[in-house]
Amino acid sequence: MTGVSFRGVRKTFGPTVALEGLDLDIAEGELISLLGPSGCGKTTALRICAGFERPDAGTVSVVGTEITALPAHRRNMGMVFQSYSLFPNLTVAGNVEYGLRTRKLPKLERARRVGEMLELVQLSDLGGRYAHQLSGGQQQRVALARALAIQPKVLLLDEPLSALDAKVRASLRDEIRRIQTELGITTLFVTHDQEEALGISDRIGVMSNGRLEQLGTPVDVYRNPSSAFVARFVGTMNELPAVSAAAGMVQVAGRALAAPASSSPAGTRLTLLVRPEDLTVALGDQGVGLPGTVTAATFQGASISIGVRLDGVDVLVTSSMASSAAPVVAPGDRVTVGVDAARSMAEPTT
Amino acid sequence: MKRFLARLGPNLVIVLTLAFFVLPLLAMTRFALQSIPMVRLGWSTLFDKWSLSGMTAAFDDDKFGPALWLSLKLAMGTALLTLMLLIPTAVWVHLRLPKLRPVVEFISVLPYMIPAIGLVAGILVLKPHARWFLNSDLSLIPFYVVLTLPFTYRALDTGLRAIDLGTLVDASRSLGAGWGETLRRVLIPNLRASIISSSFLTVAVVIGEYTLANVLLKRTLPAFMQEFRGREPQGGYGLALLALAATVMLFAFLGLLTRPKAARRSATPVSQTSTTYMGAAG
Repeated sequence: MTGVSFRGVRKTFGPTVALEGLDLDIAEGELISLLGPSGCGKTTALRICAGFERPDAGTVSVVGTEITALPAHRRNMGMVFQSYSLFPNLTVAGNVEYGLRTRKLPKLERARRVGEMLELVQLSDLGGRYAHQLSGGQQQRVALARALAIQPKVLLLDEPLSALDAKVRASLRDEIRRIQTELGITTLFVTHDQEEALGISDRIGVMSNGRLEQLGTPVDVYRNPSSAFVARFVGTMNELPAVSAAAGMVQVAGRALAAPASSSPAGTRLTLLVRPEDLTVALGDQGVGLPGTVTAATFQGASISIGVRLDGVDVLVTSSMASSAAPVVAPGDRVTVGVDAARSMAEPTT
Repeated sequence: MKRFLARLGPNLVIVLTLAFFVLPLLAMTRFALQSIPMVRLGWSTLFDKWSLSGMTAAFDDDKFGPALWLSLKLAMGTALLTLMLLIPTAVWVHLRLPKLRPVVEFISVLPYMIPAIGLVAGILVLKPHARWFLNSDLSLIPFYVVLTLPFTYRALDTGLRAIDLGTLVDASRSLGAGWGETLRRVLIPNLRASIISSSFLTVAVVIGEYTLANVLLKRTLPAFMQEFRGREPQGGYGLALLALAATVMLFAFLGLLTRPKAARRSATPVSQTSTTYMGAAG
């Protein structure tokens, strides 16, 4: 069953097109992240789902019921905002209770639900505090408890971790995922942080210029990007200038390499997109591959990051230290960089 | 010597400024509270015949009570109408029409630029067509709302700028609250300091407004004071002194009420700590 469904949703702000025909289905209990740069339309999609914006065209449905014209306060959606949104005049418990009071639940039921929610976000001891007496991470956990207390059909998360420091961000990200899985609540998570999206989502929708560029599992989006934009936006990407040659080959820095699947005629100028882990490094000039010089080698525990200067272009290579073939290189070493053609992507240069 | 002169300059300015404000008040106090003829007021009579009777003389006048009551009614009515009109307007402008903010701000300062007498001229034109309205004592309220606009709008505007209005409203609405409930449970409590400031400023302006009340023949407190001063100069100034003291107390109270929450809360633990310390010492 579909939890949330966007059909042909379009939204403009003056001359700016924020969303252009968004079609998206979120299954019940699924967590989908909308990932993209600033201004790509991800927050607009979320705000339309919440009822804070009206689409110019298209519909939004929740569990088969169209809610496009329903005002925000009747949608029963919990939302956590980017900026701290706790009501300053209320205590932590008062904030969590807010939505229950609007629903006119009996006092005992409200108290029970507040207790449960504070326990869920592990803040049972802080019910009497005010927002200004809490850290940023605690405030967002209270905001999450407040959003969940009303037992919403859909949970909307608008970059809830972006104001937090890295350590708190990682722990709260895991906590959000734990709670979401525990409650089985349909969730739409908006972020511009690929690490967050890759780490928390069942599926990721990558957006650009108001359009959904790709929708897939984190592995799928990372390993099989549908476009050069997605490839560049998700993860790190090396870009090598190339020229397509005959018989499924490309010329890079004067060397012939096996070409990725591409229909470009011979002589077309291309940009070859390869992830750092899809490049290999071997000492000396191996004849096959791209010769270069090591500029930096950074040991990162489980892997090593190697910077190599090829003919006029710098590339980054990541090698796993688990393999016995892990390269032992130092800055200044002459090496050959091997390219996994099957895992690379070619884009005609404009 | 150089350092002495450097310190003397600023201190002299402070002394002169204080003298500028305090000397007329002291003179007024002497005139109001010393029961001796004005021609005999001098250094030699500085400590003679001080009495509060000048201050309380107006209380015995039959017209004082109704005038004070009318002014209080007008002040309360003006404060209430101002808040009812301005809170939704200011919130809407901040949330939905931010481009209109400079226009609304400009409109709010118009009463500064157009003096009360200009408003009076407008009312006089209106008078023949709206006697039914202007005959009521409370007809002053809408005009007072206009007169106090520069103070009241600014106070609310400052309060709205200090909170993350958009997020708080969205959060409240996403939790199931309509506009009315959001206003009542989120906005008004978080604009408390601004609302109190705005209301107190309104009360202060209305309690002292004379021009409009006089033209519309309303017996408000300032109109009574003017008339009473003609009959009883000493009592008139005594009453003015009392009004001034009441205003100062009103604003001191305002300062207490609008202190940031954190400051108010931190005051409690300090006193608790000192109590514990003294107990332990004892």
